[in-house]
Amino acid sequence: MIGWYEANLVLIEATFLNFLLALSIQVPLRLGVFSFAGVGSYGLGAYTAAILTLRYDVPAFVAIGAAVLLAAVVGYLFSLLVARLNGLYLAMATIAFVLIIAVLATNGGELTGGANGLYGALSDLTTGGVVAVCVVVAVLLALTERGPLRRRIEAVREDPELSLSMGIGVVPMRQMAFAVSGALGACAGAMNALLRTTVSPEEINFHLIVLALTMVIIGGSRSWIGAFIGSVIFTWLPSVLASAGRWQDVVYGVIIILAAIFMPTGLLGLVQTLYQKLRGRRSAAVTAEAPADDTAEERALLQALGGESRGGVQ
Amino acid sequence: MTTTETAPPVLEAEDVAVHYGGIKAVDGFGLRLPAGRIYGILGPNGSGKSTFLAAVTRLVPLTRGRLLIDGEEYHTAPPTKLARRGLARTFQTVRLLPELTVLQNVQLGADLHAPGGRLRSWLGRDRPSEAVEEAIERTGLGDVRDAWPTELSYGMARRVEIARALASRPRLLLLDEPTAGMNHSERQEVSELMRKLRDEGLAQLIVEHDVQMMVDTCDHLVAMNSGTLVAEGSPQEVVSHPAVQEAYLGKRWRSHA
Repeated sequence: MIGWYEANLVLIEATFLNFLLALSIQVPLRLGVFSFAGVGSYGLGAYTAAILTLRYDVPAFVAIGAAVLLAAVVGYLFSLLVARLNGLYLAMATIAFVLIIAVLATNGGELTGGANGLYGALSDLTTGGVVAVCVVVAVLLALTERGPLRRRIEAVREDPELSLSMGIGVVPMRQMAFAVSGALGACAGAMNALLRTTVSPEEINFHLIVLALTMVIIGGSRSWIGAFIGSVIFTWLPSVLASAGRWQDVVYGVIIILAAIFMPTGLLGLVQTLYQKLRGRRSAAVTAEAPADDTAEERALLQALGGESRGGVQ
Repeated sequence: MTTTETAPPVLEAEDVAVHYGGIKAVDGFGLRLPAGRIYGILGPNGSGKSTFLAAVTRLVPLTRGRLLIDGEEYHTAPPTKLARRGLARTFQTVRLLPELTVLQNVQLGADLHAPGGRLRSWLGRDRPSEAVEEAIERTGLGDVRDAWPTELSYGMARRVEIARALASRPRLLLLDEPTAGMNHSERQEVSELMRKLRDEGLAQLIVEHDVQMMVDTCDHLVAMNSGTLVAEGSPQEVVSHPAVQEAYLGKRWRSHA
C-alpha cells in the first residue's frame, strides 16, 4: 500500500488539484454562467504563489492565501467588465481572459521568467495540506447545495427574471460566483506551483480549459461530488489508457463522446437517477393503495362537477 | 362604486407609459387598487396588459408615469426590492424550478423572510416555515409536496406558483392568467381561493382571458386596448360596454353568472 501511494503520489496530488480546478468552472456553471475564467485564475494563482515564494520566501499558506485573495479580486473586477455578456459571448470573453494571462506570463520579463517560467519555488506545502484545503472547500460548497442558498442558486440559473421578482439579486450572485471561481482556480494553481516548484506559461493553455470542462460535464455539473468524480476519472484515465499505446487519444476521445451522449447529467446524475428509480419503486409499492384510490375518487368527482356545471350553464 | 374606494390604495399606477421605440405598448394607463379588492385587467392580445404588469413589477422601465405601493413611490426602485414591500406575482407561463420539489419551490417564496439572519438559515435545519405550510395547505398541494414539477398536471403546477407567491405573505398579488390551462372545477377552486384571500385583505390584480372567471371573481374591471383605458367599472358594466364588446369580445357577450 505504501509502495502504491509513493509511486502514485503525483497523480494523487493532481487529483485534488484538478478537483479544485473543476470546481472553479462548476461554481459559475451552477448559476448558469458559462465562464472559463477559473483557468486564467489558475495561472494567476500559480505565478503569484511562485513569485512570492521565490522573492520573499513566504510560508506556503501566505503565498496561497495571497494568490487566492488576488484572484478573487481580479475575478470580481472581471465580472464587472463582462456584466453585459451572456452565453457563448461570455464564454469567449473568459477564454480571452485565460489567453491574456498566458500572454502576460510569457512577456512578464524577469518577474514571470518569460517563456521558461519560474523554477525552484521550494515551500513547506505537503500533500496533507492540499487534502485539508480540498476538504474545507468541499464542506463549504456542500453547504451551498442545501437549504435556502441552493434554492437561490437554482433560481438564478433557471430563471433570472423569476429570481428578481423573488427579491434575489441576480447580478450580485453572479459577481460572487466570479470571485469564488477565481479563488478556487488560484488555489489549485498556487498549490500546483508550490508542489511542483515550477510554473511555466505553456501550462495555461486551451488544453487546461478542455480538461476542466470535461471533468465537470462527465462527473456532474450540479454538485462538488460530480467535480470530484470527474477529477478522479480524468486524472487517472491517461495512465490507465497508457496500455492502449498510440490509440490512447482515440480511446480517450471515444469515452468522452459516449459519456456526453449517454450521461447528459454526468456520472453523478446517472447514479442519482438510478437511486431515485430504485427508491421510487420501493416507496410506490408501500403507498400505492391509499393515494391511488383518493386521486381516482377525486378525479371522478371533479369530472362530475365539471360536467354538471357546464351542462347547467348551457 | 363601493365604500372601500376611500381607503388608501395598496397599488397606485398613474399615467403609466411604456414605449419601445415608436411602439406605445402602454400609453397613459392607470389604476388605484385598494386593500381587500380584486381588480381585473381585460383586453385582447397585444393590448398592453402584460407590459403593464411587467412595468408594475419593474421588469421593464417606465417611459412616463408613477407607481406607488401604500402611497410610497417605487418606480425607480430595483425589482428585487418589491418582494420586501409585499408585492408577489405569478407569470403567464409556468415557471417552477425543475430541480426543486414542490415544497422547495414554495419555500423559495418565503426565503425572503428567513428568520435569524442569512447565516443561520444557511447552516441550520431547513424546516418549512409556517407561511410555507399555510400556502401549501390553502392551495391543496399537501399530497404532492414532495413531487417534482415535471410530475404535476398543468393546473397543479399553476397552483404551486400561487402557493409560492402566497408563501412570501404579500400585501399585493399580481396574477397573470392564473387559470389558463385549468379545467372548469380547477378554475372554480382558484377563483374561490382568490375571493377568500380578498376577504382577508389581500389586494389582487388579475390579467386573464377567461371573461366568465373575471366576472365571477373580480370586484372591478379595467378594460385596456392599444395601451390605454377603454372602460372601467363593475364587471357587468365593463363587459357590456360597447367599446369593450367591440375590442375584446368581438360579438355580444352574455354573462352566465
